Amino acid sequence: MIVPMKKVTLYALKQDKEALLAALQRCGELMVVETEDSLPQDGCEEATEALKRTRETLRFVGKNAGKKGLLTVRPEVEASRLLSADPESEALQKQAFGLERRLDENSAKESSLKAQSDSLAPWLPLDTAVESLKDTRKVAVFTGNVAKDSIPALTSVLDRFDAEAQFLGEGLSGRAAVLYCMKDQAEEMLSAAKAAGFEQAALPRISGVPVDCEAKLTEEREKLTKERDEMKDSLSKLAAKRDELELLCDQQATVCSRLGTPAAATEYTFRLCGWAMADRAEKIRKAVESVTDAYALAFEEPTEDDQPPTVEKNSRFVTPFETITDMFSRPDPRELDPNPIMAPWYWIIFGMMMADAGYGLIMALFFGLFLKLKKPRGDFGKLVKVLLYASITTAFWGVMFGAYFGAEWFPPVLFIPLDEPVSTLILCLGIGVLHIFSGMAMAMANAFKAGDWQAAIFDNLSWIIMISGLGMLFVPSLAGVGKIMALTGAGIVLFTAGRSKKGIKKVTSGILGLYSITGHVSDILSYSRILALALSSGVVAMVFNLLAGMVQGSIIGFLFSIFIYLLGHAFNLAMGLLSAYVHSSRLQYIEFFGKFYQGNGHAFTPLSVQNKYVDLK
Amino acid sequence: MTTGTIIAIIGAAFAAILAGIGSAYGVRITGQAAAGVVAEKPDLFGKLLVIEALPGTQGIYGFLVAVIVMVRIGVLGGGALQLSVEQGWSFLGACMPIAFVGFFSAIYQGQTAVAGIMMAAKDPSTSAKGITMAALVETYAILALLVSILLVFGIQI
Repeated sequence: MIVPMKKVTLYALKQDKEALLAALQRCGELMVVETEDSLPQDGCEEATEALKRTRETLRFVGKNAGKKGLLTVRPEVEASRLLSADPESEALQKQAFGLERRLDENSAKESSLKAQSDSLAPWLPLDTAVESLKDTRKVAVFTGNVAKDSIPALTSVLDRFDAEAQFLGEGLSGRAAVLYCMKDQAEEMLSAAKAAGFEQAALPRISGVPVDCEAKLTEEREKLTKERDEMKDSLSKLAAKRDELELLCDQQATVCSRLGTPAAATEYTFRLCGWAMADRAEKIRKAVESVTDAYALAFEEPTEDDQPPTVEKNSRFVTPFETITDMFSRPDPRELDPNPIMAPWYWIIFGMMMADAGYGLIMALFFGLFLKLKKPRGDFGKLVKVLLYASITTAFWGVMFGAYFGAEWFPPVLFIPLDEPVSTLILCLGIGVLHIFSGMAMAMANAFKAGDWQAAIFDNLSWIIMISGLGMLFVPSLAGVGKIMALTGAGIVLFTAGRSKKGIKKVTSGILGLYSITGHVSDILSYSRILALALSSGVVAMVFNLLAGMVQGSIIGFLFSIFIYLLGHAFNLAMGLLSAYVHSSRLQYIEFFGKFYQGNGHAFTPLSVQNKYVDLK
Repeated sequence: MTTGTIIAIIGAAFAAILAGIGSAYGVRITGQAAAGVVAEKPDLFGKLLVIEALPGTQGIYGFLVAVIVMVRIGVLGGGALQLSVEQGWSFLGACMPIAFVGFFSAIYQGQTAVAGIMMAAKDPSTSAKGITMAALVETYAILALLVSILLVFGIQI
């Protein structure tokens, strides 16, 4: 069902604001909404910045700390500890932040040194100081590179001009070379040398003999490496304290959400507007009273124009299935909660699509253990519970259809879908008709709730009568009754579908209304996917059994067949789960919700402590 | 082995080949889109993987029909039946729905899934809606699979 909400308005003194917000956050029952005159609290931006920095640091530390174990459990923490950030953790975050920056600087320096060393490499054989390589009174000196293949050509040019060359080491752009020639021929020689493949290039910007420079560079790089190793050490020490940083992240997120609370203020007072569940009013009043007695707190019923948030409250069985509905759209707070009706249908249809007793057992074990050990929360936790519940129906339909890991260990209670596809198809369509009828019944209930009995009878009941009648036509003993029912239903639709129209449109709307039978038929046929998916997962399982059976000749073959069993069934189970999840959701969203559901509600997000990384005690 | 048996085998091969190619293409384009998104938002990997797997099912359906044909004509498990030419053509015809609908629907589903991935990249909370939109395309592959299965089982041998 959908929990009734109350509109909350709280006035109090500004001096109590901090304490009041903290108390309300602790209590976690009030969702504060923005109004035209409300503003977030002072310091909100700084807190958001701090949170962002901590998240980045956490990502940096996490990257170096490696993955957490699959079954790591969240630590438990008192809610009061989350209300403000620990100074030690903040210092830790600063330390990690500084370390990240220094590591970045270190690697930037390292790469610049490496670039220098690379550009120096070809000049290493030069045994004179670089600065001494300049023109003398009579001799011109050119430095540059020449490709290896062009060396003979260059040598012959040099010979022609009576010049000398000194070929040095190999670099990225060829072999480094120094050319010497008489100054009066310099221009001509240079252009000839260039034509022969010589590329003029400046010397690396160093002083002294290249070898000495290289030694200095190497020394500096070693120093950097040593520094980096030290930093890596302290980083791994920090990584061990990841829990503290995660707690800090939660603390800062809590502070952030508190400071982001929109409140309208005068000089001495402030006002909070928001929503709370009707039965939690006392809890909120107590939280306020624990701080001050100077307050005014009002709880009002929502008016027609208000858009209260939606809170669904259902039995333990139905609650996990809310996530399926919420993924489509949250219910509008004024309509009926579809979950109590949707949940059993989803449960049954999911099981039919999987339909294997062995798979049901594996699902129960796997998801049961996962819930027990990992304790997933939120929507994901709900989804895991849905899958755990679905293991029961999966096993049930497996027994009905005689499917045990794709083999027939026991004879089926009903029949084997592969042997009697038509009977199974009729069963699936029958389930579909009932599912659609329950959707129409929901539409009727919604219409009655809105006081529109005509819509309930003419637009929904008429179709239930007509479709049941059409169904009975296929059973010889019921055909007579079926004919009457089908005609009655069709008559109601024909004469009432145009009831809000005038003149000739009354007639055309009636006929058009009858035409929507095609939509209903295609909705019902859509349930044939249950058969197709049940067959597909069953047959794929069978194929893997067959393949494994083929190789079971020798001991090696036997071991290999175990491998095929494990891998094949794991694959088939995973794909089957995906298909069953997607397609049973679709049958709810399109075929079932299409009959009655409005949706468009929004979530109830009360001001509360943020615990992404920890559990509350 | 008779000509009829050979025609039936060609039919089974078509089901596996065409639906398989379609799925491979569909998964390829969704995989490319998902990789681009995951590069920016690594947290979305799990959600996008579900969308990426959707166009892969047609390949499984084609494989499934191929195996059922093989089982029915006795190619799997020894002793291939001596089918008449008419029976062979019937099997080939029975494979056509999943072969062609599988091929095209996997490609189109892949394109819809890419759009869903783009939507999830902008707002991760919409990923379930993207999944549903892509799943709608699959309906026709499922119907074709059903027709193929019913036909394969309906052929008298």
